[in-house]
Amino acid sequence: MREKTPKAKKTHATKYFDYNLLFILIFIICFGLVMLYSSSSYTASSKFGDSAYYLKRQVRAILIGVVPMIALTLIDYRFWKKWGVFAYLVSFGLCVAVMIPGVGTSSHGSARWLAIGPISFQPSELCKITMILVYAILLELTSKKLNQKWSEIKLLAVCLPVVGVVAASNLSTAIIIAGIVVGMLFVASPKYKDFLVIGLIGIAGILLFIFTVGYRGDRVSAWLHPETAGDKGYQTLMGLYAIGSGGIFGKGLGGSLQKMGHVPESQNDMIFTIICEELGLFGGICVILLYILMIWRMMVIANNARDMFGSMLVVGVMVHISLQVILNIAVVTNSIPNTGVTLPFISYGGTSIMFLMMEMGLVLSVSRGIKLEDVDG
Amino acid sequence: MAKTGNRRTKKGKKPIRLFSKKMRGKLMLVFAGVSVLLIALIGRLMYIQYNNGEKYTKKVLSLQSYDSSKIPYQRGDIYDCNGTILATSVAVYNVVLDCTVMTDKEEYIDPTINALVECFPDLERNDLLAYARDKKDSPYIVLEKKLPYEQIQPFVEMQEAVDEKGDKINPNIKGVWFEKEYQRYYPYGTMASNVIGFTSAGDVGTTGLENYYDETLNGVTGREYGYLNSDNDFEKTVIPAEDGNNLIISIDANIQSIVEGKINDFNMTYTNNYREGEAGAENIAVLIMNPNTGEILAMAQYPNCDLNQPRDLSRYLSEEEQETMTEEEKLVWMNRIWQNYCVTATYEPGSVQKPFTVASGLESGTISDDMTFLCNGYEEVGGHTIHCVNRNGHGIETVEGSLMDSCNDALMQMSYLIGPENFTATQSIFGFGQKTGIDLPGEAYTASLVYSLENMTKVDLATNSFGQNYNCTMVQMASAFSSLINGGTYYQPHVVSKITDANGNTIQNIAPVAVKQTVSAATSEQLKKYLYNVVKTGTGKTAKVDGYSMGGKTGTAQMYDPETHLRKTGCYLVSFMGFVPYENPQLVIYTVIDQPNVEDQPHSSYAQNLTREILEEVLPYMNIYPDEEKDGANSDLTIIGTDTLINGVEHNGGAPAQGEAESEPEQSGENLPEE
Repeated sequence: MREKTPKAKKTHATKYFDYNLLFILIFIICFGLVMLYSSSSYTASSKFGDSAYYLKRQVRAILIGVVPMIALTLIDYRFWKKWGVFAYLVSFGLCVAVMIPGVGTSSHGSARWLAIGPISFQPSELCKITMILVYAILLELTSKKLNQKWSEIKLLAVCLPVVGVVAASNLSTAIIIAGIVVGMLFVASPKYKDFLVIGLIGIAGILLFIFTVGYRGDRVSAWLHPETAGDKGYQTLMGLYAIGSGGIFGKGLGGSLQKMGHVPESQNDMIFTIICEELGLFGGICVILLYILMIWRMMVIANNARDMFGSMLVVGVMVHISLQVILNIAVVTNSIPNTGVTLPFISYGGTSIMFLMMEMGLVLSVSRGIKLEDVDG
Repeated sequence: MAKTGNRRTKKGKKPIRLFSKKMRGKLMLVFAGVSVLLIALIGRLMYIQYNNGEKYTKKVLSLQSYDSSKIPYQRGDIYDCNGTILATSVAVYNVVLDCTVMTDKEEYIDPTINALVECFPDLERNDLLAYARDKKDSPYIVLEKKLPYEQIQPFVEMQEAVDEKGDKINPNIKGVWFEKEYQRYYPYGTMASNVIGFTSAGDVGTTGLENYYDETLNGVTGREYGYLNSDNDFEKTVIPAEDGNNLIISIDANIQSIVEGKINDFNMTYTNNYREGEAGAENIAVLIMNPNTGEILAMAQYPNCDLNQPRDLSRYLSEEEQETMTEEEKLVWMNRIWQNYCVTATYEPGSVQKPFTVASGLESGTISDDMTFLCNGYEEVGGHTIHCVNRNGHGIETVEGSLMDSCNDALMQMSYLIGPENFTATQSIFGFGQKTGIDLPGEAYTASLVYSLENMTKVDLATNSFGQNYNCTMVQMASAFSSLINGGTYYQPHVVSKITDANGNTIQNIAPVAVKQTVSAATSEQLKKYLYNVVKTGTGKTAKVDGYSMGGKTGTAQMYDPETHLRKTGCYLVSFMGFVPYENPQLVIYTVIDQPNVEDQPHSSYAQNLTREILEEVLPYMNIYPDEEKDGANSDLTIIGTDTLINGVEHNGGAPAQGEAESEPEQSGENLPEE
């Protein structure tokens, strides 16, 4: 928990790079591809006649994502400080655009996709990374004023337009964006009590939203009694069957029976259930530990970042990944009502993995800024 | 050192806003919080595993059954010797509605229901709407059963129709699929029904060839399922169904239909004739076989069944009669129409036995052609008086004459000379008391219904010599007779001549099996000559087809009542067994009429008339040409002979002289000793 003055030894400093994180990332992506193939081959084969259909698309997305990730790693992250306002406006604009009929394309009932030429992507995914950038900038600027009264509220207000627009079509993404912002504020701010209040208000708001807005109401009954909830509980129940039938060491890679058309979205939100079925409790725990390891590495980078901006960037990414992992696993284990959150780096989804890789590029870029002498657990 | 850094920041001169210690602490807190939550989720995983692991494992396994589907095989066909299809399996389709798919999207429901109502007139729109409303979760609703393809074709076409771009015209018809299965179909219904048999539950052969060759006819059910191979590739595997093998049988549909037509004529004519409300006879059965191979050419009977509706008794019983019947009584009737009389029924053959008795004597050397016997009209054996056909006696009878006159007295005297050893040995050689091994199910085993050397008394020997007091089956008798007139080779009777696979390739040719030599060629020739004369001028002349040389023997057996252990008064089984032509016989026919519906039963002429009528059509069909001068013999006779008694109009009016001889009772049953 100590750091050295960066300036004194600047010229002699050995550049640091967090290979640990890079290797964890590579490992988790490769593992994700294996599991993606295993869980999607049946569906892909019966739907598209090509068992590697989903795998190929995911690999393509990753290959496309590698380029900006390397670029972001190599570019000094401080370069992005100037782009805060621009990024905010662009992502907000896209989120609004997606709601205009005819511009956005709908999938699974909500309009979330935006097609620009041949590329279609979810602006809400873009919002996550821009919010991280915007708040890293904001928090660095206002770090001194954070102990002032209402400072959190003022800062929170900045993200409300975006969260509101996203929430209209995609509640879970809005929750994650809000969670990222609150998490970053919490780390930056010296206060505790206010966050307790914010947390409570947030939970109350979510509950209110769930029980009042349309289709989310029956998700609660599906959560409490998946066996009797019919179609709504089906996905949850099938996921639970998969987890429960895996045993300690699972049925072996490729041995899942539930992926044979029983677990819907087995390559997507529900992929963790197939991991548990094929690799058992052991495999499931290993995956969770892998995420903990990744988050820990990011904490180390944040702690040792050259400046506040870098630290906050890393904190944002860290909170983002943590939230998605927690929400995803909580959903598939029926610990919380069903909401569509993907498992980072493993679930199928091109936009998601490309933006996650870009975020990791930022984190690695921050890690490059660390002087070796500075590094401290 | 951290202190230094902080101080520098606080001084704010060079605002490198560093991550403060406080922030590190809070980040640590966030990390700890995340870790705690994730560990809690690990706990949740363990909880699910521990509490429900076993239950969920079973659930998962139980879900699997839905994943593989059966592909039905096509049961093999049965063809006659000319390739006419006698039994086949046709594909039929069940219309199944997967309501979960149809109701998945609102826009599917109307087009799907419209298409269904349009293509299947039996379906009610309201019923379908009710399914869409109330049975949304039901993936398997059978709307229609067993429709032929023509009836589902309009729907399939509508479903698959594409416009010029290759897009579906009706993309919203969803959730209807067709389940294929096969249904057994018999194009000729009743033809050879008792030989072919029928199946129940699709592919379970119940009677006849369907039963005997069940495994040959059945194929192997195919399966369709998905699995991951060793490379973790998903494979949708289809194990195709293996269709069953086909049977080609020696029965000729043309001969069979001639025979069945004549049986039907006979039956129709004599129905209600003497016994009101009864058929032309209790049973009528005709067996035609090739004496040189043992192949069955026709095997027909009354009563028989419609194979497409084997449980339908309405051809024999009115609805009122059926309603008053118990299930057991119905079952008795069904067994009657399902059984193959030629194979499963046993009876006392009567005088058709006589050639075998004579053959036994000739073979053992105990009887010779030049012997004569004095028939005085009866014989006293072991305290019983057994009468001859002619109570006044035939006088001096040669061996040939005793057959021509069907003289019981002479045959009994022969049996003393032959002795029980020779007699039982010959009976055994001819296969009486044994199964012939014909490839049909339910062949009667008559070992307990014949005498062995150990238990044969003098009376038994005497009565057996003219075919009473022991039981045989028609197929036994015809097979034995074939060997008697073909030079002495006993062929195992059989029906199936070839087995082919689904593509028509021969799998097995079933060649004639010569089992044994029964008599010498000389004895065979001798008996052929005797039997020729039986038909030419003896008791069998009514059976003669004008212009054909043929031999044969009549039979009239008094029925035995197993309940009272007494001979049934006035109940006779009459028969005729013959061969054509005299030189090199091509065909053996054996006709049995069990209790013809007439006042005066014991006349083999009923069987002879039927035989003659059948042969008159069958012989030209088989390209057997007349080999004798036509002399107009029997030209005045029809299937009822000259009997104008039919339906009580007139009795025996205008019977020609020869009719007297044939209508003479061949034996006096009332004087037969009881067992």
